Amino acid sequence: MKHYDVVIVGAGAGGGIAAGVLANAGKSVLLLERGRPLSFEDVGRDHLRSMRFSRYGVNAGPDLDGVPRVFVEQDGATRIVGPLDGGYHNLAACVGSGTRVYGGQAWRFMPQDFRMASIYGTPAGSSLADWPITYDDLAPFYERVEWEVGVSADCARMSHLPEYHRQYPMEPLPMTRRANRFEQAAQGLNWRTTRVPLLINSKPYGGKPACIHCQHCVGYACPVDAKNGTQSTVIPRAIASGRCTLVTGAMTEKINVDASGRASGVTFHDRDGVRQEVGADVVVAAGGAIETARLLLNSASSREPLGLGNANGQVGRSLQGHYYAGCVGLFEDDIWDGVGPGACIGTCEFNHGNDGIIGGGLLADDFIATPISAWNGMLPPDLPRWGLEAKQWMRKNYRRVADIRGPVHEIPSPECRVTVDTGVRDRFGIPAAKLSGFAHEETVRTANFMDARAREWLLAAGAVDVWGGGHGRYLSGGQHQAGTCRMGDDPHTSVVDASCRVHGHDNVYLADGSVHVTNGGFNPVLTIMALAWRTAEGIAAAW
Amino acid sequence: MPIPPQAPAGALLSIFGAPGVSALRALVDTLIPPDDYPGGWDCGVGDYLERGFTAQLAPHVPLYLACLAALDAEARGHEDRSFAELGLPERTRLLQLLEKDGGAAEWPIAPVRFIRIAAEHAAEGFYADPANGGNKNEISWKMIGFEVVG
Ligand SMILES: Cc1cc2nc3c(=O)[nH]c(=O)nc-3n(C[C@H](O)[C@H](O)[C@H](O)COP(=O)(O)OP(=O)(O)OC[C@H]3O[C@@H](n4cnc5c(N)ncnc54)[C@H](O)[C@@H]3O)c2cc1C
Ligand code: SF4
Repeated sequence: MKHYDVVIVGAGAGGGIAAGVLANAGKSVLLLERGRPLSFEDVGRDHLRSMRFSRYGVNAGPDLDGVPRVFVEQDGATRIVGPLDGGYHNLAACVGSGTRVYGGQAWRFMPQDFRMASIYGTPAGSSLADWPITYDDLAPFYERVEWEVGVSADCARMSHLPEYHRQYPMEPLPMTRRANRFEQAAQGLNWRTTRVPLLINSKPYGGKPACIHCQHCVGYACPVDAKNGTQSTVIPRAIASGRCTLVTGAMTEKINVDASGRASGVTFHDRDGVRQEVGADVVVAAGGAIETARLLLNSASSREPLGLGNANGQVGRSLQGHYYAGCVGLFEDDIWDGVGPGACIGTCEFNHGNDGIIGGGLLADDFIATPISAWNGMLPPDLPRWGLEAKQWMRKNYRRVADIRGPVHEIPSPECRVTVDTGVRDRFGIPAAKLSGFAHEETVRTANFMDARAREWLLAAGAVDVWGGGHGRYLSGGQHQAGTCRMGDDPHTSVVDASCRVHGHDNVYLADGSVHVTNGGFNPVLTIMALAWRTAEGIAAAW
Repeated sequence: MPIPPQAPAGALLSIFGAPGVSALRALVDTLIPPDDYPGGWDCGVGDYLERGFTAQLAPHVPLYLACLAALDAEARGHEDRSFAELGLPERTRLLQLLEKDGGAAEWPIAPVRFIRIAAEHAAEGFYADPANGGNKNEISWKMIGFEVVG
């Protein structure tokens, strides 16, 4: 049996970072990814099959067949779902995972985001808790990621955060017409604004060129490779070290443990469907919040029949993502200049300190919407969907609408869960993930509050009509999925400790969004990356 | 302007027959009518559907067959002409009426739902990228001002 210092499951945001750090620390690394490497042409520019508008397909994985999940409706009925179904809560599956096609918003969480329970208390029915680490613990790793992966931003505009030790490596991307308008309007409202930090080169950086401002940023691959995902930065650097082997098409079935709870390696199915076992001193799971929970649950042993790390029934609980609050505004002139990537200006004025609200969220202008996405999601609710009026509305207003939206800090619920269903299996015979529960009502309240702030901002910017917003209770997981194996000092309420090591398992670590205790009022990827960096450095330092 | 009967070659004709294709074309051009930009059909929605009905839209073929027949039946009930023989204002009025009143012919699903589904498919053929078969020469993108660089 082949043996590596470290086996990492999942070559996405967190797994890619862990591979880079550990290979560069001198460890031999096997990086297993169930998806494929995707070229620009592989991802393509199909507006009906993108990760933003997945009507008939997805362009960053997984394959549509043989990867079922089970979704539990609010009335308890279950259905088997595939990646095109909203109930699937798909993220991606390829080298880089979401980072292959993401928008690259690169927000640090705020210090308060790590101390939600201390600040707000724990609402009944929620699992709101403090992180076992603070902002200060993570700040150096945020900085590492900003420099090593590459972020364009301006720390002088990050007035919602403690002072930075080091400026960002690149200036923000240029202001758009829309962003200028929103910035002025915010001044009128006395709201501070920030420039949206982006994992996108505003100048040549890291051996890659600057952004050419195309219209296909979020949901697509970059035509010039100015967007920094793990597939184009840390993973190739890990491989270049000569110490990291990337195996794609490799679906990991389980983490193998001995009677004492020590992991000996993993079992996976290779591209040809052959079941293989490899040995490792350390196993790092980074499959994303849903798949990592599934992997642990499917790694049951006689010592832990309910799943690895699941003696206390915590694995899979508190699944959260982000409710996306916001509204669309209609303006009297062309507010949209078509300059990509689009996301440009934001405000953190409402992330905390909102009367009677727990937490809050970020608001920012959004990435460019393709015409079919705009038709699908940005039309006024009372506009007929067909006929001359619909056609002429699009003609007149596609460049006159703009949306302000943002992720809402969710209040986690222990009933939002990933379990596994042994009756439904994937193409390798591995039990499927089963998703159940719906968001805590405080999340809905916060989302409605943030809708109102978006409306205010749009009106202040001169919108003549505003629509959208309004939220029901639903399961939130999707592209921002997090929280199923949270960090904590107490094994009864958490799955990993403050170093992201699974309680009771000396050599099993998690390095993805699953460890988030709460998911911030910010897009999560920079936090996932920073934490993975910290975890990997911790592993390397300990042995 | 009524839709002239025509006989396109290929998949649409073999699925729907000539009268069916005329009805489909009339429907598409009612959902996305011509103004100083051409209507949906001439912008490639027909080509999008032609390709789609043998691929991702194949499961919808029986629905379209039944609903296009029902549309013709409704048109004959009102005007004694096929749906394709009606002018744009009459077709538009008929669809609006069907959305409200549900119609008199036999529909497999409520007409309002079929119209919604067909409007979505037409929008896909009209506004999505041309590689999907529709949006000929990026005509809708020119119309709304979506310019692609890179
Ligand atoms: C279109 C889009 C836009 C986004 N925009 C932003 C943004 O602007 N800002 C932001 O912060 N976030 C954004 N995100 C979200 C971001 O990409 C995710 O938060 C992030 O990728 C999650 O990191 P992760 O390490 O937890 O999981 P992932 O990055 O999903 O990595 C998990 C990897 O593990 C693989 N895997 C899973 N199970 C197994 C197994 N058993 N065996 C082998 N391999 C396995 C998966 O295939 C996947 O490649 C976006 C996502 C998408 C899809
Ligand atoms: S907007 Fe810039 S970074 Fe984004 S895909 Fe286009 S060129 Fe690349």
